Parts: sequence; C-alpha cells; structure tokens
Amino acid sequence: MTAPDRPLPADAWRLLTTAPGAWLSCDDCFRLVDRYVEAVLSDASEPASGELAAMPAHLSGCSACAEEATTLLLLAAGDEDVDPADALRRLTAS
Amino acid sequence: MTEVSHDPSAAREARTPPPVEDWIAALTSEGPVRDDALRRLHAVLLRGARFQVSRMSALRAMVGVAQVEDIITLAADEAMVAVLGKLSTFEGRSRFTTWAYKFAVLQAAVELRRQAWSHREVPLDAVPPLIEPRPSPDQYAEGAELAAAVRRAIDGVLTPHQRRIALALIVDEVPIDVLAERLGTNRNALYKTLHDARSRLRAQLVLEGYLAPSTRSPGDTR
Repeated sequence: MTAPDRPLPADAWRLLTTAPGAWLSCDDCFRLVDRYVEAVLSDASEPASGELAAMPAHLSGCSACAEEATTLLLLAAGDEDVDPADALRRLTAS
Repeated sequence: MTEVSHDPSAAREARTPPPVEDWIAALTSEGPVRDDALRRLHAVLLRGARFQVSRMSALRAMVGVAQVEDIITLAADEAMVAVLGKLSTFEGRSRFTTWAYKFAVLQAAVELRRQAWSHREVPLDAVPPLIEPRPSPDQYAEGAELAAAVRRAIDGVLTPHQRRIALALIVDEVPIDVLAERLGTNRNALYKTLHDARSRLRAQLVLEGYLAPSTRSPGDTR
C-alpha cells in the first residue's frame, strides 16, 4: 500500500484540508442520520439547524458516514416516492 | 443468488409501506401480529443491506458473489437484533423504516469493507516522506503551490500519529472501519484524529497566507 516514495495525489490535498467544522463523532452522526436525511428530503431551502447543524460538515469530512447517509437518503426518498436529486446535492452542503 | 440492484428505483419498487404508527405496537405485541411485523421488518432490513452493497461496486467486485449474498443476509440479521434491542429508544422523530434502515446500511457497509480488505495489507509502521511531485499544467492551474504547501504542512505540523492516520485514510484510501480494526480502535477515534489533523493543516496554511482565516473552501488560495 505505502510505496517508498509517494507523491501527494492530485486531489488528496483538498480532502486533507476540508474545513473540519464543529466536532461531531461518527456515533452521533449515526444517531442523527435518519432525522437528517428526512429533513434534507423535506426542506429544499432551510439549512440544518440545532443538533443537525454539524451533520453537513461531518458528512463532508467522513467518507464512510457520507456513503451510508447517501444510501439512507435514497432509501427514504424511495419510500416517500420523491426525487432525491436536490436532496443529494444538499446532503453535505454547509 | 438474487441479483444485486444498482438502481435506486429498485428500493422504491420493492418497498413495503406499513402504517408507521403500527410498527412499535406490532413489534411489541405477541402472536401472529408480532410474527408478521418481524417478517416485514426483516424484509425492510434486507432491502437496506442489499441497496447499500449494490452501491459499493468497487468493493463488491473484490469479494465473491456468494460472499456478497452472505454479507447482505448477515447484515440484515445483525441489524434485526440491533433494531429490536433499541426499539425503546426510537423517538418517532423520523419514519420507523428510515430509522431501521440505518442499522442495516451500517452493518452491510462495514462488513463489505472488512471482507474486501481482509487479504490486503495495511502497513502503518513506517510512512515515508511525501515527495515533491512534478505538477502537470492542469495541476498548476488548480493550485500546485497550495498542494506543495499542504505537503510541507503534513510533514511539518502533524504528529506522527495524525500523519499516518490522515495519509492512510485520505491518500491510501483505507476504509475507516478497516483501519480501526487493524489498529484496535474505533471509527470515532480515527475520525477525531483526522478532524484534528485537518484543523492543524488549515491553521498552518492560514499562517502561511495560503488560506484566509474565514475561508471554508480549501481551494481558495491567497
């Protein structure tokens, strides 16, 4: 995995310097993610607030949580029979 | 085996829309009503697990077809235990199915990442210095100077632990669950390390004038 000499890949510096935002653990992200995806699906304009305010930054910085949250959003959108396209764009938007 | 769907609409088509308010009552009742609710819940969890796995095509390709189906089934079974064990904590602040799905999605994602990486080495003892890449014209256009500053900051301001965790997660793309398992820690602890590393890197780049203090986008250069 780790080569003797290694350049920094083209986009890695962007991921390494992503604004970390307020601290939110992965456990707290999991606790909140069902409420968050439904909030994102239901409201096209309001930014996340209250406990959910730290979710966009966490999902921007944690690829595993983001991958799982995206799946959850698509499943919830399917159950609600709504187009998830706009909500997917807002999932990680601060 | 059942074909794994790549289409989000598959989840829509396969959904079972039970009355939301009935889930808790049914699952805490007895007899045929509870048996039926358990069966429906397991179907929901299987759907969630299968959909998660269907979205992880690169990792799915690294394990066998039969193994993929085992992962889906195992994830649904483990999620069933988790959901029933946490039923009293469900506050009704989301749909019951959305709440239940997340357990299956997590179990499926973690297990597929673990299985896909089970034969891959994650050497973390010695992480060599980053070398100065020769930027292409495109890289110049995208901020090669900032990229070089980031590379220097990685070697200059991160602790050895922050450095190896950040490089493993971001540069080597080791899944966070896999890295946590290999290091005997957990996702929270590794994400905290990455969070702190990013704060240090950004502080250094602000100090050097590459980022404005209030800048939120790492692509904004001086």
